[in-house]
Amino acid sequence: MVLPRVSRLVYRNFKVNTDPASLVILVGLPAMYLVFFGFGFGDLLFIAPGLMAFQSVMAGTVGGGMLWADRRYGMLAQLLVGPFSRLDYLLGIMLTTVIFGLAGAVVMYAVAFALLHGVYISPLGWGSVVVTITVGSLFFGALMLILSALVKSNNTYNSIQILVLFFINFASTVFYPDTPRLPVILQVLFRVNPLSYIANLVRAGFDGTLAPVDVFYLIGLLAGTVILVVLATRTYMRSDISYT
Amino acid sequence: MHQDTSDAINAVGLVHSYDGKKNAVDGMTFNVRRGEVFGVLGRNGAGKSTLIKVLTTLIRPTAGKLTILGMDPSHKSEEIRARIGVVQQDESFDFTSVEGNFDIYGVLWGIPKAVRIERRERLLKEFDLLEIRKKRSFDLSGGQKRRAQVAREFMHDMDILFLDEPTVGLDVIMRRNLLDLIKEQVKGGLTVVFTTHNLEEADYLCDRIAVVESGKVIALDTVENLKRLYGGKRTVEFAVEGSSGIELVRAVEQSLNGESTLKVLDDGTALVLTEDPKKALRVVVEASQKLGVQLEWLNVRKNTLEDVFLSSIGEQRSGN
Repeated sequence: MVLPRVSRLVYRNFKVNTDPASLVILVGLPAMYLVFFGFGFGDLLFIAPGLMAFQSVMAGTVGGGMLWADRRYGMLAQLLVGPFSRLDYLLGIMLTTVIFGLAGAVVMYAVAFALLHGVYISPLGWGSVVVTITVGSLFFGALMLILSALVKSNNTYNSIQILVLFFINFASTVFYPDTPRLPVILQVLFRVNPLSYIANLVRAGFDGTLAPVDVFYLIGLLAGTVILVVLATRTYMRSDISYT
Repeated sequence: MHQDTSDAINAVGLVHSYDGKKNAVDGMTFNVRRGEVFGVLGRNGAGKSTLIKVLTTLIRPTAGKLTILGMDPSHKSEEIRARIGVVQQDESFDFTSVEGNFDIYGVLWGIPKAVRIERRERLLKEFDLLEIRKKRSFDLSGGQKRRAQVAREFMHDMDILFLDEPTVGLDVIMRRNLLDLIKEQVKGGLTVVFTTHNLEEADYLCDRIAVVESGKVIALDTVENLKRLYGGKRTVEFAVEGSSGIELVRAVEQSLNGESTLKVLDDGTALVLTEDPKKALRVVVEASQKLGVQLEWLNVRKNTLEDVFLSSIGEQRSGN
């Protein structure tokens, strides 16, 4: 059986990105966060959905990293002189990113389930988690794709990625709640950070506290994602294929 | 493979410019016949790699007419790419083992599993990669990488194979070894477009050669015809001791007054391509005596493909 073109690219993306070292970083690191932060601060129920949301960022870095590596190591040009269009390649990366995000969230849930000796999410809650992680993965995937398509130097790419991730991760409600006790600047950063909304939505699904207002947050997130995906597509389609 | 009597590639006035000012490919006209090994010979920066990018639909021509396998790449690029194989000049590997790369590549091309395994095993054996099959591709030596990259391309069926300087960076033995492997693989009549700046390789592998300079095709024929075209000519070559070679070359050039093509190689050897070797010899000897320059050696020989190449470029430049 011959798989459709995008499926073949997704298969390849997984084969290349699921070596033991990559998996430890992708899943092991957030799992360690879960254990240390959860036990350290004693609030696993707060941290667990936060780290499920955090998987959308990890998935985004995987997506951006794939484009970056494929440009750097010649595989992008090799694939594009093969039986794939630029759009196939982009869809392959986007789909891989979403699958990574969802799989990572499930792993985080499994770790939390084990640590909490059983924690259950309602079907509606799961629906909310899946939709939010999917949209969130696309959001951060698109952001990292723009970075990968524009930046030419390895050092610049890594530096920008670390800087962006630092702000996105720590100025969000993944690890800490947004409370009036926070300094104002942090409160502002928390509220302009899309990861806060992803974490809040996942947490609401996880806790079973979804409210009508969450629909508006999801729509806002979706709108931002659509804009970023369009920008990423345009940037990527116009970018140089070869790194050198 | 598709049966079609038309040319595999037909290019008329092909142009590509990266910046809209200078043409990297500047009005190339040529055809590649089905089943031939077609060489694109030129120095670094002559436009070979840009030409390959245009022919493999990676970039669009700025002007000109191009058909590949009877199709217009501006409308049928996906159909064309499904029927060509490309070995790029730069390395291109996934972060996995050699055999992993072959497997993934087979999957990407939609090769059924049984065929994939059979081809992978055959190619690993034929390209002498069995011992390093488990090695990660980025840990391979330069020669092993090139062998693996070329071999991997044969995982899928194709009508045209593009080889963009596949032997670059390899030593003489590895180069010949890889050329032999390519020769063996294309015995069945596969059309091959092969770019190189190495004249021996072009001579060894190609049926016809296009000599490319400054984005233009400046000579195009079979290797034998190219040699015959310049066959009336002989090459007078000489070298002098010390730093007075430049003066002698200038004096010889002046005396020959454009009747012959004169080239100085990197090692200081001067070549005079001429139809009148006696006169050229006399000029060189007289000039050296006049300048008091000691000739290290002086020789007359039949021309080689290298001389054809140098001569073509010389004519192109004088034409400009």
